Amino acid sequence: MTQIVARLLLAPSLVIASAVLIKGYSSVGDGFSAGVIAALGVLAQYLAFGYREADRLLPVRLAPVGAVAGLLLALVVTFSSVLRGEPLLTHSPPPGSEVVHLGTLELITAVAFDVGVFLLVFGATVGILRAVAMARVEDET
Amino acid sequence: MTLLFAAVVASLFGSGTFLVLKTDLLRVVVGMVLISHAANLTLMASGLTRGEAPIYPLPDDAVSDPLVQAMTLTALVIGFGVTALLLGLAYRVYTTHFAVDFDRLAEEEARREAELEREEVSV
Amino acid sequence: MSRLSQIGALTAALGFGATLAIWAAGGGGIDLPWAPALGLRLHFELDGLGVLYSLLATGIGFAVFVYSGGYLPRHLAHQGRPRRDESSFYWFLLLFMVSMVGLVTAQDLILLFVFWDLTAIASYFLIGYDRQDVEARIAALMALVVTGVSAVLLLIGSLMLYVEYGTFSIPEVVERAEPSKLVTVAAGLMALAGLAKSAQVPFQFWLPRAMAAPTPVSAYLHAAAMVAAGVFLLGRIYPLLVTSEALLDGLVVVGFGSMLVGGILALTRDRLKQLLAYSTISQYGYVVVMYGLGGAAGVVGASFYVVAHALAKSALFLTAGAVTEATGEERLSRLGGLARPLRALAVGSGLAAAGLAALPLTIGFFKDELFFDSAEERSGLVAGLAVLGAALTFAYIGRFWIGVFLGPLRSPTHGAPLLLVGPVVGLGGVVLVGGLYPEPFVRLANAAAEASLGFATSVEASYHLDARVENLMAVFVYALGAAALATERAWRAAALGASSLGERLGPERLYVASIRGLNGLSDRIHGIEVRDLRTRIAAILVPGGLLVLLGLIATPHTTAYVVGGIAREDLGLVLVLLTTAVAALATTFPRQHLTLLLVAAGVGFSLAVVYAFLGGPDVALVAALVETTFTLLFIGVFALMPRASLRRLASLRTPGTRRWRDPLVGVAAALGAFLVVWGALSRPSIGDSVADEHVRLTPDAHAKDVVTAILTDFRGLDTLGEITVVAIAFFGIATLLRRGRLW
Repeated sequence: MTQIVARLLLAPSLVIASAVLIKGYSSVGDGFSAGVIAALGVLAQYLAFGYREADRLLPVRLAPVGAVAGLLLALVVTFSSVLRGEPLLTHSPPPGSEVVHLGTLELITAVAFDVGVFLLVFGATVGILRAVAMARVEDET
Repeated sequence: MTLLFAAVVASLFGSGTFLVLKTDLLRVVVGMVLISHAANLTLMASGLTRGEAPIYPLPDDAVSDPLVQAMTLTALVIGFGVTALLLGLAYRVYTTHFAVDFDRLAEEEARREAELEREEVSV
Repeated sequence: MSRLSQIGALTAALGFGATLAIWAAGGGGIDLPWAPALGLRLHFELDGLGVLYSLLATGIGFAVFVYSGGYLPRHLAHQGRPRRDESSFYWFLLLFMVSMVGLVTAQDLILLFVFWDLTAIASYFLIGYDRQDVEARIAALMALVVTGVSAVLLLIGSLMLYVEYGTFSIPEVVERAEPSKLVTVAAGLMALAGLAKSAQVPFQFWLPRAMAAPTPVSAYLHAAAMVAAGVFLLGRIYPLLVTSEALLDGLVVVGFGSMLVGGILALTRDRLKQLLAYSTISQYGYVVVMYGLGGAAGVVGASFYVVAHALAKSALFLTAGAVTEATGEERLSRLGGLARPLRALAVGSGLAAAGLAALPLTIGFFKDELFFDSAEERSGLVAGLAVLGAALTFAYIGRFWIGVFLGPLRSPTHGAPLLLVGPVVGLGGVVLVGGLYPEPFVRLANAAAEASLGFATSVEASYHLDARVENLMAVFVYALGAAALATERAWRAAALGASSLGERLGPERLYVASIRGLNGLSDRIHGIEVRDLRTRIAAILVPGGLLVLLGLIATPHTTAYVVGGIAREDLGLVLVLLTTAVAALATTFPRQHLTLLLVAAGVGFSLAVVYAFLGGPDVALVAALVETTFTLLFIGVFALMPRASLRRLASLRTPGTRRWRDPLVGVAAALGAFLVVWGALSRPSIGDSVADEHVRLTPDAHAKDVVTAILTDFRGLDTLGEITVVAIAFFGIATLLRRGRLW
């Protein structure tokens, strides 16, 4: 029973996490919350299925890569403004100009920064709890 | 209201301090978590205004101070990272010394140090 | 040749080509604002000085990468280490090359300092590459300490100049500098840093010890690149040095000292690499002397000398490595007669040795010609010392080459591989080409001197078949050197005596004594410190708490504390706050770990509700999620420990004294926190908060949620720091839980 529920909850949790991330700009939500929601969805798999099954999931395998990618994305966004000659972390488009909308999602560099934060928090949380799970398994074997 | 906040912070801080003084390493970590909760509550309580959530379109009456919220959020996430690291350390202490209470640990540390000091110091 | 060495060689070649291309296009640079409020800029510029040293770093880097491709597998096999240890070597070598190029192109003093220390760090790891060898570890630490401590002098000098002229930018400082005591002291400190890096007297003792590094490292760092950084600094701050005659004279004295000390000691060394190390000390003494003598001839000569020396010396180091690989011997006394079996190597290293000894038809001839030119302009004494130094060079390098390649065969060999011989022959070839066609090198040196002096120079070097002073001095040098070689047995004892005297009284003893002293001091302080972790923490926190108490007592308490009213709609908030307080107090009771965890989670979740009531939905969301993850994490770690130990921990009885001491301390801490927080909350800040600005400006940031806008836009750098902390915590915990090695 737990396994069915856990497996059913994985995709929706990832969707909710992306929703929180995207609407973070106009409503309650944030890169962090999104990252942790997604990580909790993945971790429910660990609790329900155990280490071996859950390790084969795609989000789990990509977690450390995601963490580094998120950090790099945040750094790139921060330093891209230096290359344009302005101080660190000056977002574009500047205030007052038009912003390209994709539904409610605005394509601005601050959202890219948030996505980087999301990836990092997701990757780090999944990685940390996976390390705990693996240490347990190593102890038993 | 300030009195109530201060009282709650005090209870969190006091309980945290009490737990930090215990011999059990895991209780010490829980105590540190409580102390950081106390700090976060202080941060939130020190907001200059209190009212609705600061989201546009803004409501007519007062809006809560967003700066302390941002700072508390940052503090929460950093506290998360640090606590995870502390727990990892506690686990490693356990696997090295096979003890997580301070009395046994102090004995083990003293024993290890005596061993190390017997080796030559080379420059 | 392994993949990584190929990549390294390719990177070096690309760097070399790019440097040449940019220089041919007239130079170029990047200038980006880094911290405008502090006046720091990311300013890199490829001027003459930068081009010279960049070409040196990348060109010789190319040869070293190729050489390492052949040398490193054998080296690791000798020591029984796995092949995958190679990767860290190449990464550090690459880091070194990049930081060297960054160092020489940096136009900002703080940027210079950062790259200076980066080269020192890369050098530490490269010297200590043979981790299991105690000698290598000691040598690496010695190099790091000597160059690192002297780097602080560089920083102090830069800060002095900043305080005086208000800028860190090197071109601006050079423009505004005038002769004054401050500039002299600052430039002197920076020159000291450079001298220590170039292993000049009295800082020379780290270089011979650093020969414990693998041979490619010695050839690259300690012949051509890292020690060159020291004299590069002299060239970069030359306009500041020129303002003081005393500084220039000091440089001449130090240079001659190094020349003589290095030369005499090189005459007596038996180990090949030690001989070459002392030779490097001596040769860089020449460069320092030329900077001290100054003028167009001196500065151009100094830059030219660096190039010529780097080419020849790195080839000789690579030769020493190849010979040691081929025969298994590293002592001169046990080598000989290798010219026949190692013909190509003999030719290549012969050309390099001839270059160092300043024989005609090599680039070395011109290096000495420029040296003599500037020396005899100064005075007869200087010229005489110059001749003496050059004769010493001739003697010891002759001893090296003749001792290895001529004479009877003392150790058999089975030949040397192509990857080891090729770079030597290549560098030797460049030495020969430079002797026949020195124009490009002279042009390079002139460009470098232009950056140092501030005006264009046009010193030339060519063969003059007449009896001018430089030629006479050169002939005299050959005669004196050959005589020294022939009469080696006569002066050998005296030289050995001088070198052992130096060891007894030299600066190395000072270094060893200070390290021992620091270790002893640290041990004594550690002995005073209490052993127990808890009492150690208490030793810090209890006085801290007492200070806070003092602050409280000193506060006037009539107007300090405000009770504050409770509005009717705050009832929910009040209830949740009370719940939190009760839950917090309840955490002190449970014995079982799981119960404790659940109560602590209760505290966290009720705090999340408090945050929601306080009008912070973002914070409440994150608090609830973080608390959930905490609970999972704690449960995970509890599951890692065996039940028996957890049960034992739970049933521990606190001993008598602690039973009443712990609650007392808890109550005292709670009381203190209560008074402090109440006092703080009762006095809101005077004036407007920047939060109003944030609320007002959020629509301009294309956002509607003010908190998210603050986190990603207005205070985005805080968030960047925070996610770095989380990333570090992740790597830390992953390493810790995997019992050591992360990868």
